[in-house]
Amino acid sequence: MVDEPRDREPNPRREKPEIPAPEPPERPEMPKPGPPGPEMPPREKPTPEVPDPKPPNGPEMPPPSPPEQPTRPTQPEVMPRPEPAGVPPMPPGPEVPPPRGPEILPPERTVGFFVERPESVLEVPAAKLAAQSRRDFLLLGLGIVASGVGAWWLLPDRTKGRLVGVERRDRLDTVASRIGLSRENREKTLDRALTLDDDVAEALYSRNRRVRTYRRSDVTPLKNNYHGRTPGPEHVAGWSLGLSGLASGVTEKLTLEQMMSRFPHHEQVTRLVCVEGWSAIAWWGGVRFADFLAAFPPAAGARWAALRSNLSLDGAGRNEPYYVSIDLETARHPQTLLATHMSGALLPLAHGAPLRLLTPVKLGLKNIKAITDIAYTADEPADYWNERGYSKYDGL
Amino acid sequence: MPSSGARSTRIVPKHHPLVRLTHWVNVPLLFGLIASGLAIYWAAPVFFHAYDPVLRTRDYFVSLGAGIAHLLGDRSDPRLWFYNHLSLGPQQLAVSLRWHWALAYLFMLNGALYFVGLALGGGWRALLPRRSDFAEALGMMRYYGGVIPMAILRRPWPHPDIRSKYNALQRSAYFSMSLFGALVVLSGWAMHKPSQLGWLERLFVSYDGARVVHFVCMIMLGGFVIPHVILAITDGWDTVRSMVVGWSTRVKESSHGG
Repeated sequence: MVDEPRDREPNPRREKPEIPAPEPPERPEMPKPGPPGPEMPPREKPTPEVPDPKPPNGPEMPPPSPPEQPTRPTQPEVMPRPEPAGVPPMPPGPEVPPPRGPEILPPERTVGFFVERPESVLEVPAAKLAAQSRRDFLLLGLGIVASGVGAWWLLPDRTKGRLVGVERRDRLDTVASRIGLSRENREKTLDRALTLDDDVAEALYSRNRRVRTYRRSDVTPLKNNYHGRTPGPEHVAGWSLGLSGLASGVTEKLTLEQMMSRFPHHEQVTRLVCVEGWSAIAWWGGVRFADFLAAFPPAAGARWAALRSNLSLDGAGRNEPYYVSIDLETARHPQTLLATHMSGALLPLAHGAPLRLLTPVKLGLKNIKAITDIAYTADEPADYWNERGYSKYDGL
Repeated sequence: MPSSGARSTRIVPKHHPLVRLTHWVNVPLLFGLIASGLAIYWAAPVFFHAYDPVLRTRDYFVSLGAGIAHLLGDRSDPRLWFYNHLSLGPQQLAVSLRWHWALAYLFMLNGALYFVGLALGGGWRALLPRRSDFAEALGMMRYYGGVIPMAILRRPWPHPDIRSKYNALQRSAYFSMSLFGALVVLSGWAMHKPSQLGWLERLFVSYDGARVVHFVCMIMLGGFVIPHVILAITDGWDTVRSMVVGWSTRVKESSHGG
């Protein structure tokens, strides 16, 4: 075996042989249980003073190193301070006490950074050891302090108030904001986590990937999760859908009958997943958003659909419009419906009569109910829950 | 040796810097992941008991928290005790999700660093269960079971002679924690992206299957900490320190630890 430590990659299969690292004529000693064979290559020495180390021929081991096994330097690259001086600790075996190696300081410490060092005794100057200890404990202390400060900074205000009391919280927050750990920065930082996750979600998305579908017998109860009151039946009769941002430049008005007669009807049994963590399988029917887009093409440059319900109510029953942003890639997914039916009948009020979005590639909160307006836009439109701290993309 | 005249100490290298780094980084990450994860769980529990009309809940955690509050004589709302004390809090879904994603990405990064280090450095072999582990694990359990009685009886109770870096119990514990760590990430993705990663969701049978696995993994990872810390501390300062500095001064019996 040629000794070329500098040219070799770290040996990924290296186990800690239980022998002192730096000695040249080494010999792996205790065969490890486990997969036999190539796991204990001979250690070789990077220093030129030593004659070419031969592959060891240990008395108790089958030749441990197949030729394809790359070699690498064996120095304690990680913690260079401890100078090896040692007696091998292993009791059994006719080990020859290895000669004291010459001073070895590997020139390329990073080459074998990952390598697990053998559990052999090293003799290290006490002062060096103490200095290294100090450094490591200092790092640990810094880590603890950083975690504590970071956690405080990122905790929700209400949680902090409950932990230490509102007054002390405000005082601590004042101190924290002086070193840049302000509320605004907290929101920015946490928002970055959301946008990173949104980017990942968008990268995972494929319009050609169909979502799992179920049998009608798999349908589970779906609760009415309107965040406010459920709109009453009075609006359904006079309902029409406003459509703008079209290539034609005109604003269209479509009735439910037009929606249902003009486009082919599609049915699907898919899972609706809520941001809260629950989910339900339901049987939906309606128009493919893709067909709708083909019939009413958006203006050039449009990348988004702003879907809006002017019928939504808040908890007190007052009108509170609900709006979501949907990227047109999602709108063109074959399982994205402008749904008119549920369980084979027209949509009930609780689930968005007369028309709702049903897209199983987005969280439930994007599946807006009782749509009244669709507008195509070039820039991303506002999104109700995004304004309240949730993700904007919400891809599933 | 440069310092031939100076005092020197005999040590045994123990933990690779990457192992130490990722080990300690896991502590705040898991803490934050559990705190935010339970706050997310608050929004839609998956484990239900029969409806309790007094507490107006079916959530086991609400009931558990109410029980603890009662034991502690805590006068605050018993229905909120659990989520107030063991999570970021009730009604904190949006912020908890953001916490959870931020920490989850860091946890994956940390785990990747750990696994890559183990794979490249060969450290994984010390964690791989071996054929002899069953017998050795029984011996270790016998040893641990006898530590306190033998101390009371003042009888010698030597530690089993372990020649490898970890004993069989440690190996199985550390190995399974790696598995649970990987599983918690996989089940997390399965419920986070069940549409794009439908194959992963199917791996856990269903959406709620992934939720249950995710939850069980949390229990295992969190529950592991208790015996882990107790054993490390009882084993001695040298063992605790070795996870900070990377070496042990237990030269003769350098083979066991927490």
